[in-house]
Amino acid sequence: MTFVFPRSIFAIGLCFGFVHSGLAADRVQFNRDVRPILTENCYYCHGPDPKHREADLRLDVREAALEEGAIVPGKPSDSELIARILTEDEDDLMPPPDSHKILKPKEKEILQRWVAEGAEYQGHWAFEKPVRPQVPAIQEAATPIDAFVLERLKTEKLGLSPATDKRTLIRRITLDLTGLPPAPEDVEAFVADASPQAYERVVDRLLKSPVYGEHMAAQWLDFARYADSHGFQTDSSRTMWPWRDWVIHALNENMPFDQFTIEQLAGDLLPNPTLSQKVATGFHRNHRINGEGGIIDEEWRIENIIDRVDATGATWMGLTLGCARCHDHKYDPITQKEFYEMFSFFNNIDETGVIRGGSNRTGGNPGPSIYVPDAEQQKTLAALTDDLTQAEAAVKAAEKTLPALLAAWEPKFKKDLAESKPQWEPLMPETVSSTGGVTFSRVEDGTYLAGGPTPAKATYVIEGAIPEGGFSGLRLNVFPDPSLPEGSVGRNSNGNFVLTRIEAEIRAPSLKQPLKLTFSEAEAVFSQKGWGIESLIDATLAKAAKRESTKGTNRGKGWAVEGTTRKEPNQAMVLVPDLVSVPADARITVRLVHDTLNNHQIGRFSLDWCSVPPQMVTLVGDGAAPADIRVILDLDPAKRSAKQKQTLTAFYRTGFDHPVKAADTALATARKKREGFEMRLPSVMVMQELPEPRTAHILLRGEYANPGDAVSAATPAVLPPLPEKAPRNRLTLAKWLVSPEHPLTARVWVNRQWERFFGKGLVKSSENLGVQSDPPSHPELLDWLATEFMQSGWDMKHLQKLIVMSATYRQSSARTHLPASLLERDLENRLLARGPRLRLTAEAIRDQALAISGLLDPKIGGPSVRPYMPEGVWDETSVYGDLRNYKPDVNGGLYRRTLYTIWKRTAAPPTMLLFDSSSRETCTVKRSSTNTPLQALALLNEVTFVEAARVLAQRMITEGGASAEQRLDWAFRRALGRPPDAHELSVLVAGIDRQWKRFQSASAEAEQLIQSGEAPLAANIAPAELAAYTVTANVILNLDEVLTKE
Amino acid sequence: MIPSPISALHPSNRRTFLERSASGLGLAALGSLMSEGSATATVPLAGFPHKPIKAKRVIYLFQSGAPSQMDLFDPKPQMQAQFGKDLPESIRKGQRLTTMTSGQKGFPVAPSIFKFAQHGESRAWISELMPHLGTVADELCFIKSMHTDAINHDPAITFFQTGRQLAGFPSMGSWLSYGLGSQNRDLPAYVVLTSFGSGRPNDQPLYDRLWGAGFLPTQHSGVKFRNTGDPVLYLSNPPGMDRALRRDSLDQLSELNQHRHALVGDPEIEARIAQYEMAFRMQASVPDLTDFSDEPEHILDLYGPDVKRPGSYAANCLLARRLAERDVRFIQCFHMGWDHHGGLPKAIQGQCNDTDQATTALIKDLKQRGLLDDTLIVWGGEFGRTIYSQGTLTETNYGRDHHPRCFTVFLAGGGIKPGMSLGETDDYCYNIVQDPVSIYDLHATMLHVLGIDHNRLTYKFQGLDARLTGVEGAKVVKQILA
Repeated sequence: MTFVFPRSIFAIGLCFGFVHSGLAADRVQFNRDVRPILTENCYYCHGPDPKHREADLRLDVREAALEEGAIVPGKPSDSELIARILTEDEDDLMPPPDSHKILKPKEKEILQRWVAEGAEYQGHWAFEKPVRPQVPAIQEAATPIDAFVLERLKTEKLGLSPATDKRTLIRRITLDLTGLPPAPEDVEAFVADASPQAYERVVDRLLKSPVYGEHMAAQWLDFARYADSHGFQTDSSRTMWPWRDWVIHALNENMPFDQFTIEQLAGDLLPNPTLSQKVATGFHRNHRINGEGGIIDEEWRIENIIDRVDATGATWMGLTLGCARCHDHKYDPITQKEFYEMFSFFNNIDETGVIRGGSNRTGGNPGPSIYVPDAEQQKTLAALTDDLTQAEAAVKAAEKTLPALLAAWEPKFKKDLAESKPQWEPLMPETVSSTGGVTFSRVEDGTYLAGGPTPAKATYVIEGAIPEGGFSGLRLNVFPDPSLPEGSVGRNSNGNFVLTRIEAEIRAPSLKQPLKLTFSEAEAVFSQKGWGIESLIDATLAKAAKRESTKGTNRGKGWAVEGTTRKEPNQAMVLVPDLVSVPADARITVRLVHDTLNNHQIGRFSLDWCSVPPQMVTLVGDGAAPADIRVILDLDPAKRSAKQKQTLTAFYRTGFDHPVKAADTALATARKKREGFEMRLPSVMVMQELPEPRTAHILLRGEYANPGDAVSAATPAVLPPLPEKAPRNRLTLAKWLVSPEHPLTARVWVNRQWERFFGKGLVKSSENLGVQSDPPSHPELLDWLATEFMQSGWDMKHLQKLIVMSATYRQSSARTHLPASLLERDLENRLLARGPRLRLTAEAIRDQALAISGLLDPKIGGPSVRPYMPEGVWDETSVYGDLRNYKPDVNGGLYRRTLYTIWKRTAAPPTMLLFDSSSRETCTVKRSSTNTPLQALALLNEVTFVEAARVLAQRMITEGGASAEQRLDWAFRRALGRPPDAHELSVLVAGIDRQWKRFQSASAEAEQLIQSGEAPLAANIAPAELAAYTVTANVILNLDEVLTKE
Repeated sequence: MIPSPISALHPSNRRTFLERSASGLGLAALGSLMSEGSATATVPLAGFPHKPIKAKRVIYLFQSGAPSQMDLFDPKPQMQAQFGKDLPESIRKGQRLTTMTSGQKGFPVAPSIFKFAQHGESRAWISELMPHLGTVADELCFIKSMHTDAINHDPAITFFQTGRQLAGFPSMGSWLSYGLGSQNRDLPAYVVLTSFGSGRPNDQPLYDRLWGAGFLPTQHSGVKFRNTGDPVLYLSNPPGMDRALRRDSLDQLSELNQHRHALVGDPEIEARIAQYEMAFRMQASVPDLTDFSDEPEHILDLYGPDVKRPGSYAANCLLARRLAERDVRFIQCFHMGWDHHGGLPKAIQGQCNDTDQATTALIKDLKQRGLLDDTLIVWGGEFGRTIYSQGTLTETNYGRDHHPRCFTVFLAGGGIKPGMSLGETDDYCYNIVQDPVSIYDLHATMLHVLGIDHNRLTYKFQGLDARLTGVEGAKVVKQILA
């Protein structure tokens, strides 16, 4: 066997990752040449995972491979590995034919040569700390980056392309750093600025621009799987935009990446964390949260934590940790145990892992969550807190007078009591009916049982006589019944009901109009959390509750009783503020309105009414005093137990008017005001540790119900150790990720920045730097950038500036001057012999159209907005949750930058998906970039783009000049930063002429076309002219060059 | 005669394809069309198909919410004697339940109140709920021994569609689009149609991810036809712009893009020109597709009166046939409303009224056109339902909770043995006693009849060769192959 390796194999035949620095004729290098072959073809069965290991042979560890005789260094002919890959016997051949893996002849040759040269192994490059390489001494290199790139190009006898022209360059850099096109003035200023610093000044200006942070944030939102909804079945709303605004702000402020990391992973664990640092921890609450009926909480809490481990691995380390969930990682040296040790860091959040009850339907932020007031709101909140403190002090002072007041009250009350009659009388209905076809049958005990259909909404109407005298309120008694769903109290399939409100009116011959009763107080024996009885009577509160429910706090509207689990009788009362006088021959009509949730109606009920003054009424008990109070009153005060004294005091304190009650009421009001204000503040979900950490276990086969050995928080052994003394918590983990010892974090970040500007990372598999990753095209450049990034103090803007200042970045992206052989070999431009030419992102495509037309609203941050979306976008496949019946905003929200568009995960903004955005369901660190007919349809026909074309056309006509040529020149400068050339002008001018003529004889069509969108129509432009220009502007906005960063 | 899609797209014919698809663009576009990031999804992967092609396309009739197998296809008359008695622990075997019934005091057996009869020469058992389906019994292949891992809808339907319970993976139609490409240059390779059920109108939702491309390039996503407005998003020109004017504007656009291409030489520009041309063709081909006015009355009658209501299951079945005629690769109809925790007898009748006649009509209609031979039909939900009643059991009413251990699907058409039934469940329709078929097995079998070795339909994702059929091993269900 001879080992002749013509240089050409390496130079042309292999993928570019292998082609390195002219070393091809030198020794085979394990990382560069051998490892990719072994990982792709051998490690699945002969790698790190013992469960799938065949023949007890592992090839990823040199000693093991030698011991088994698979490899005999220096002797390929004695090595079983080599024999097995060369054999023609199908039974012996490796990889086995049924694996469908086939070694190429070149790969076989590499393996033979490697064994012949001694079979030296190397650790995986990405797991070794980057060492700062020497910058190659290349005279013509303008920057260190260029030196590395040129060194590589020279081995191919190539150089950089010429610098691109200034107009293309400023459009490229402005789109890259801000996601928006340059203003025509900025282009002209740059073109006119002949100084050598002209370009750097542009870069500095852009890096300082507030739109920079918005553009940079967009990708981070993909990593964080940020959205405005919970993402599973019901997919109701949540509020996480304060976290999104934190990201924009941090990026604009150029927060160092280490701090950016620490605050998001563990801001809550910093000493005396600020509000902003707590908000930052929303990063790992952005995952989906399940609320489907019937789920087992623990299963989904576990899934969320696994999601956090995956997202941390992918975002910071470029590792696929999730592969070790069920078994040891197939390729990377990460064991299943190590996976659950990482899991342990995120296992201690004070959370249930699911979203339940009203919040699952109407939206909300399952805890832990915090309110996020802005500066003004913080002031108001402080004032309200002061009021609360004062009211508390007033209560303390008043309490001192309580014993004396009580002693004076007791004898008088005893006397009143002796004279009183029973407080609740049954209301004997003459008719009980309902909307929606519900029928009622009277049960022997006088209750009414609902039957017949269960309509979505129903109002029960009960009518009966009421005797002359006083009226103070109604009591509703509900009962379970075997005929009801779940044998419970409500008619919904889960046994629950929601009573929206109680209306009542009294009619009598002596009354000209029915006397409508207004209830001011309500009480229930039991209310479901978030569905208190008070929303039935307090209109203000009810309104606030409704508003809050759409904003995402845990408030429902109406009274519910947990009928799913509490299948027991319940009572509620509503009282008027003052005793109402009932005339003779009066009749009362009571309406029980159920219109909050579909089908949630009461199943079986009766009503009582009351004539005792409202202040005296109690919900339960026969007289003005509950039975237990009567017992206490009958006792000699000296013989009352402490508990009895407490009960009596509480009864007096809450039920009668006196200074202590006044103070109590004032306190309750102050508290309610503060809470009410808080409720209207935006909230955000955050991370917050449990006082005692949960024990994490290895989960066998990755199943939540299958725990194995307990594990504690730790990091994988292949990576540097944690500081010995440091507590094993998220803060230590975060600091470890950004320690200078960590081999991955800086490389991952700089590689992604390279990818941002050039389309492909130096490591093409930017999502994975593990053993299966693609080898870096420029390993030394990667390490130089990584060490530079760390040495600069993790300065994100510094790193980006280094890249964009390079001649490599500033090259022309045209291919016309390059040899066809190069283009064919280097489709992906990994050699960097030309500049990047890439389609814009989904966000940038829409933002740019808004900017070119001048529609863009520059407001930064705040709640998500609702731009145009197709009719019924949320309703075609779901009738669940609160995100339904999409309506575009009427003002402002139509023209905000795309990262503010409301994101419902199960029905995401369709145009965004067409342009390859992530779905935001899981952490996505890389998007595809496709080119499809559906994209063409969106850009041609979606109202966003047609309106942008119409408004651009208006401005061409009103601002662009008098002639078609001038107007086109104006539009091209806005869209592309350059004037049109003669050919472009001739095509478009002819088009305008044709279209104008066409619309002059088709005025109805012209009128229709110019009505696109809500933006005001310019006065004084003939519809035919505007329509003609709209067609042309539509063509301009669809130009490939417009959609592309050149 | 439909030309073989594979030969039409064989590498040696790519020149022809390109010339047709890109208005005379030459081979220069090939690199771009083939490279990641710009593929038109029209060309099969190298080496595909791996096996003989039995079916050229799939119509998947997904019954979302999970139909009750023991009320439709898997009769258990012996359960009549067990009415109201508790499900024995020897059957339940400590299985985990959803928290909707795990707190229930008892698990009373609820025998189906529906009558079953045997149909056709194959003597297939079909319940009275599906009177029409009995007339095509001999075309059907039942699998009564399907099982799954998930017990809640969202993870279960996601598992069925993508092979994983959690989000982020490609749907089966996307895998087909990726592996086999499109057979029609004017329509997407993967089309999704949805309908609400009348049995339970407020039932389980569907999610974008069910037809999403996951980590595959976006163009492999299913295109969900909408039931309001344009069937395909943004298909119509804006009001006031007719087809002639659009043609005129596209000519200008194309001219300017070609002009740019001459200057910068990026093949991506040629690909974009081709995409705009396909968009223009879709503006004609989609309305032609969705316009039923050329359907004779007897065909409309076959599908039933609902067919005239756009967005109904019946209308979607007819549309599915029209898509199949146009060689769309994967057509998936989702019918919602099968989740019957309570009031099952009434709700299931609503669902069957929606679907029975139209499903049957689709099979007959395909058959009479000779399309059934190379179209694979799959009918089924995401899991089964329990023999015990959720909530109160009466003589006439019961509900059923989710049940992952066994359920029934049926297949018909290309590559599938007609008139047979595979698998058996125990007396309680609770456990499989013979021939279990996992979802991965079903996927592998579907891929098999489409000419694909499921182990070789892979995509490198995060360093791994990801595939639809997972890592645990899946088997083609040979017994049901024709």
